[in-house]
Amino acid sequence: MKPYDIVIIGGGAAGLAALKGAYDKSLNICLIERDKTLGGILKQCIHNGFGLHHYNEELTGPEYAERGIEEVLGLNVDIFTDTTVVDVVKENGTFELMLMNTKKGEHRIKAISTIISSGCYERTRGAIQLPGDRPAGIMPAGSAQRHLNIDGYMVGKKVFILGSGDIGLIMARRMTLEGAEVLGVAELMPHSNGLTRNIVQCLHDFDIPLYLSHTISDIKGKSVLESITISEVDENFDYIEGTEKTFEVDTLLLSVGLIPDINMFDSLKFEVSKKTGGAIVDQTYQTSVEGLFACGNALHVHDLVDFVTEESTKAGQQAKAYILNNKKRSKNTLYVTPSSNISYILPQTLDMDDDFNEVVLSLRTTTNALTGKFHVYQGETLLFSEKAKFVVPAEMEKIKIKKEHLKHSGPISILFEVVSQ
Amino acid sequence: MTYDFLIIGSGISGALIARELSKYDVKTILLEKENDAANHATSANSAIIHSGYDPDPGSLKAKLNVEGNKLYDQLEKELDIPLFKNGAFMVAHDKDEEGLLERYLERAKTNGVPGVALLDQAEAKKLEPNLADSVTKVLNLPTTKVTYPWEVAIASIENAVDNGVLFEKNQTVEKIDKQDEYYVIKTAEGTTYQSRYVINAAGAYAEQIAKMVEKNVQYHITPRKGEYIVLDRRVQGFIKRTLYPTPDEKGKGVLMVPQFHGNILIGPNSELQSSLDDASTSKGGINVVKEGANRLAKNIPFHQTIRTFSGVRASSTHHDFYIKPSLEQPGFIHVAGIDSPGLTAAPAIAKYVVETLIIPQETLPINKHFNPRRQAIKLYDDMSLSERQEAFKADQRYGNLVCKCERITEGDIVRHIHRAVKGDSVKAIKKRARAGAGICQGGYCEHQIIKILAKELGKTPLEINYFAKGSNILKRETKVKS
Ligand SMILES: Cc1cc2nc3c(=O)[nH]c(=O)nc-3n(C[C@H](O)[C@H](O)[C@H](O)COP(=O)(O)OP(=O)(O)OC[C@H]3O[C@@H](n4cnc5c(N)ncnc54)[C@H](O)[C@@H]3O)c2cc1C
Ligand SMILES: Cc1cc2nc3c(=O)[nH]c(=O)nc-3n(C[C@H](O)[C@H](O)[C@H](O)COP(=O)(O)OP(=O)(O)OC[C@H]3O[C@@H](n4cnc5c(N)ncnc54)[C@H](O)[C@@H]3O)c2cc1C
Repeated sequence: MKPYDIVIIGGGAAGLAALKGAYDKSLNICLIERDKTLGGILKQCIHNGFGLHHYNEELTGPEYAERGIEEVLGLNVDIFTDTTVVDVVKENGTFELMLMNTKKGEHRIKAISTIISSGCYERTRGAIQLPGDRPAGIMPAGSAQRHLNIDGYMVGKKVFILGSGDIGLIMARRMTLEGAEVLGVAELMPHSNGLTRNIVQCLHDFDIPLYLSHTISDIKGKSVLESITISEVDENFDYIEGTEKTFEVDTLLLSVGLIPDINMFDSLKFEVSKKTGGAIVDQTYQTSVEGLFACGNALHVHDLVDFVTEESTKAGQQAKAYILNNKKRSKNTLYVTPSSNISYILPQTLDMDDDFNEVVLSLRTTTNALTGKFHVYQGETLLFSEKAKFVVPAEMEKIKIKKEHLKHSGPISILFEVVSQ
Repeated sequence: MTYDFLIIGSGISGALIARELSKYDVKTILLEKENDAANHATSANSAIIHSGYDPDPGSLKAKLNVEGNKLYDQLEKELDIPLFKNGAFMVAHDKDEEGLLERYLERAKTNGVPGVALLDQAEAKKLEPNLADSVTKVLNLPTTKVTYPWEVAIASIENAVDNGVLFEKNQTVEKIDKQDEYYVIKTAEGTTYQSRYVINAAGAYAEQIAKMVEKNVQYHITPRKGEYIVLDRRVQGFIKRTLYPTPDEKGKGVLMVPQFHGNILIGPNSELQSSLDDASTSKGGINVVKEGANRLAKNIPFHQTIRTFSGVRASSTHHDFYIKPSLEQPGFIHVAGIDSPGLTAAPAIAKYVVETLIIPQETLPINKHFNPRRQAIKLYDDMSLSERQEAFKADQRYGNLVCKCERITEGDIVRHIHRAVKGDSVKAIKKRARAGAGICQGGYCEHQIIKILAKELGKTPLEINYFAKGSNILKRETKVKS
């Protein structure tokens, strides 16, 4: 069988946008989605707040997904749903993907280029080593969201939420509207991890307390959850004695982080960033494996779907250019590294032989600031500085670098200076 | 109902005793208070089949440990259980600890442990490159193995059931009376059984059971907790062998144990407690475990932690295993104080109970139909290409990948639901098929597993338990289903 030019793994916002970006009449493209329908995580995000940047209007998650689906439906491409990519290897310059479904069982397809847009999964109780008993009633917030919004089941009546990630905040409101009592949200950090609008609309509007610099110090319940205890933490995240508060709850939802879901593709052995948990890519979204691209939450976790669409469209376009221009990866690589107060920058490398005028770097800070300054260096040389307002770790920042700025082959680094907090 | 033998507790001890008794033509029943077999110490331990270097020479522990270790090779063949023959090192960091290695070398020899030898740092590092740099010498314990504890217990029960034993779960023994030659056993759930013999294999609860029949129980259970962290199976190969420190007054110390499926267990600590079933973890305990591990290996990939858990050792004031007939009531047998190396010793304990304690009292007719073999259900991911094709042809549900982390299909899950010892809760499926045992800990597949369980068991998703009765994950419907 003739290999596909491009195979896209995952049909969420990222996969759909990548497909649109990659589309060309002369190319043979395939998208694979393990779920019954396209749309990914958006399908369970029935709240609104999507699309303000991309469509200039406020949509719900399913509406946003619907638009993305409509945009690719007429295209002459292969879309396989209910099919999981279980392994990918690269042999003699061609990707071989192993697929599974209930119609054909295990089968293989080939591709010259592959885009990973497989989304993310939720960090678990075990990964953050929460102490206490291990009863039923503790689950990631996104799982509860799925039970509720897709399958129509409530998971509890009295709820506490650990972590102020967006899903947790959204679920605080959602569970309240469904008749549950949400007793509070605890966040380990001194600042929230969610979008400001979610703090206001999901907690403040419902009088749900947010306990900053707090974490769970005990969980009780033999077979079902009976209570949780939170404690304030000091700067080393150790519990401060005497600050314990106990809540009788039947449900504990965790919103303690999302991680790119790329373990299925371990066999490809592409380089992975410890910071993002996703692939290390250059400005064309190409990973360390030639012809392999990554985008969306599978690359790094995004707070806004609009940015997922923007990034993934570009990744698709780059994959198309890779095929049409028969481009080979150059050795002329420049590294982009985070410095003080920056947690990560994407892309992590620049391919200097690539034909570009400017690149947009996406980055997250490690601290809050009312006002601050980004300083962009190449080696020891300060290239330029840029002012920023209302900076929070939960919201991605963007900085543009022009190719003409880049004076030599030294690494680029960016630091963030807090001016006022 | 009247039985010859009634066994209380379906941990590894009760399970293997049940299987041992099924070799004879007697009526045996095994009772378990939980909603699944093997859910206490047998589901929360290091999984090591120890070589026998540790127990005091001459003790029952020493004898049954070394015998049990050998019997696992036979169980592997008969019950088709996972057995990972990876060996172990006990490591020393200084002259004092090197002295201890010498002592344990001698003790191992006295206990009849084969193949033991001391290796210097260079030799040890060649075999285990990630050994901590501070390690100066190791004691090589090549017969140390690792198994999959609850699978051994469940497999034994399945084999016993196949050979005529009855297994009932959700039966909490609450009261035992003696009427003529019979014991009358009542459970909290309201069932009454009669049996000529009662075998008390209730783990940490053995003393509670003993008090139902005896005035002066000869031992007191002093529970000791042990906490662990689990690393994802992607760390496979980081170490090959089990690593032990030199033991101290608290026991064998914090170990690193490569598991059959590739994960690494790190733990346990050892804390006395009053509760028989407090298996909570604590920040302090987990820190002790991490510090201990750093003395065994360097650059441990702690960021690959997927879970923490703890187990309760049923240690007793008798110190050795207490496996004896009651001094007060004939026909009542204690299998108590079964702390480490209880998992290792279990096959030997079962033989000891039947052949040394029962047979001299009672002629047991041979079960002519006894079939020692049980076949494990092979997971799709473990099958060869042709087996996978066969399996899919017979059942298309093998084409539905449910657990992406451990690569478990719907076909696998369905088969594990319908095993002789049913997998009828989310956790029971995790124990049997490993669905949900990976990095996302069921975040992705739990909703599917609930639906598959509901369909196969003829229930609604609302009725599917996480584990115990009444631990349903979904509480109510929010809208009318189409
Ligand atoms: C709960 C929640 C709330 C959010 N709220 C907002 C909001 O209010 N506003 C906003 O703008 N943004 C929001 N976001 C962010 C945004 O919606 C997401 O970041 C975006 O939808 C992610 O798109 P994706 O395609 O990268 O990932 P996903 O939507 O997760 O798509 C990945 C797809 O890949 C498929 N897949 C994965 N592995 C395989 C495989 N091996 N084989 C085949 N298919 C596979 C999956 O089934 C899935 O369909 C929210 C996100 C979440 C999780
Ligand atoms: C932290 C830790 C680490 C260990 N590591 C190892 C090791 O590496 N190697 C090794 O060889 N050994 C090890 N051990 C020891 C080993 O795990 C135990 O010795 C063994 O599992 C005990 O099995 P059991 O069947 O006697 O008890 P359990 O597995 O505890 O089973 C007792 C059963 O009785 C049931 N029961 C109790 N009361 C009642 C009642 N009233 N009615 C009905 N049922 C009842 C319980 O529900 C339970 O299922 C370890 C133990 C611990 C705790």
